[in-house]
Amino acid sequence: MRKLPLVLAFTLAFGAAAAVAQTPRPGQPITESDITAWNIEALPDGKGLPPGTGNAKLGAAIYAQKCALCHGENGVNPRPGYAPMVGPSRFDRIDTMKTVPYYKYATTLYDVMRRSMPYPIPKTLTNDELYALSAYILFLNKIIGENEVMDAKTLPQVKMPNRDNFVIWAPDKI
Amino acid sequence: MTFFESKTYSQILPNGKSWLFHFTMEVKSFITHPSFGHSLKGPGQYEISGVAYSGNGRVAKVMVSADGGKSWAEAALQGPVNPKAFTRFRMPWRWDGQPVVLQSRAWDEAGNVQPLRAEFVSARGQTEKPVANPLAFPNQHYNSITSWGIDSSGGIKHVYA
Repeated sequence: MRKLPLVLAFTLAFGAAAAVAQTPRPGQPITESDITAWNIEALPDGKGLPPGTGNAKLGAAIYAQKCALCHGENGVNPRPGYAPMVGPSRFDRIDTMKTVPYYKYATTLYDVMRRSMPYPIPKTLTNDELYALSAYILFLNKIIGENEVMDAKTLPQVKMPNRDNFVIWAPDKI
Repeated sequence: MTFFESKTYSQILPNGKSWLFHFTMEVKSFITHPSFGHSLKGPGQYEISGVAYSGNGRVAKVMVSADGGKSWAEAALQGPVNPKAFTRFRMPWRWDGQPVVLQSRAWDEAGNVQPLRAEFVSARGQTEKPVANPLAFPNQHYNSITSWGIDSSGGIKHVYA
């Protein structure tokens, strides 16, 4: 009997025929584990980074196979219209190319590869491959050493060269 | 932080700093008629018309210049004028057949004014060369004045003024 007023409300709102023919049929509430599977965000403090490990040497081989076709061998000379992975680290001109050294946090590199790369077949890289590629691209930009191991703990600790140059624009408008 | 927050919605400034989370479209306007792609068929009466909008609220006022910014007159706004919405402005104009530069400049209800090109360039800097590919334009939320140069044959092209 408690449902009666709701049915009446739908009837009044959408008309009797519509209410009979198109009774709303909500599905099941989404479970926490379903949300977790979709929520792959890696935050600057490392929250959301999965387990795994990799270094630049491992990353170089993966990059050559899965990334170089578009982004260029060794991160330079990409295909027309695609971003290089190596670029300037000084940003004081409006037309300076923003590549990986521009990022405030190294976790952004992991995040964008994890959700969207390789472009034709996204979400096919393993967590280890993603750490190895992150290490390799950071190494190409001389941000970390060739043997440094990237994982959920070390990646957020990488000090990006441009980190201290960001100011929040108009905090009251965000 | 995502790729787009890190890169796209940040703005490099000439002092080496970058604005982060540069989201709001500030007050802006541009003339859509006459504009590039149109041509004037000789001296006579024309309607100047365009759109204005602001991420800060409603458009409060639009001024139009037909002499490259030397003199301005207030355009009529076509209602309804809603926050963060395109607001059309209109202005009757008589063209004497001489070369002119048309411009529009908008104010919003928060008191912001659309920057002159010189003000915008001094705050943001400018590219070394004109940008050939509009998708590669390095300026997020460009809101300075757009100028249309009309030559004595009625041809219209984009100019910096």
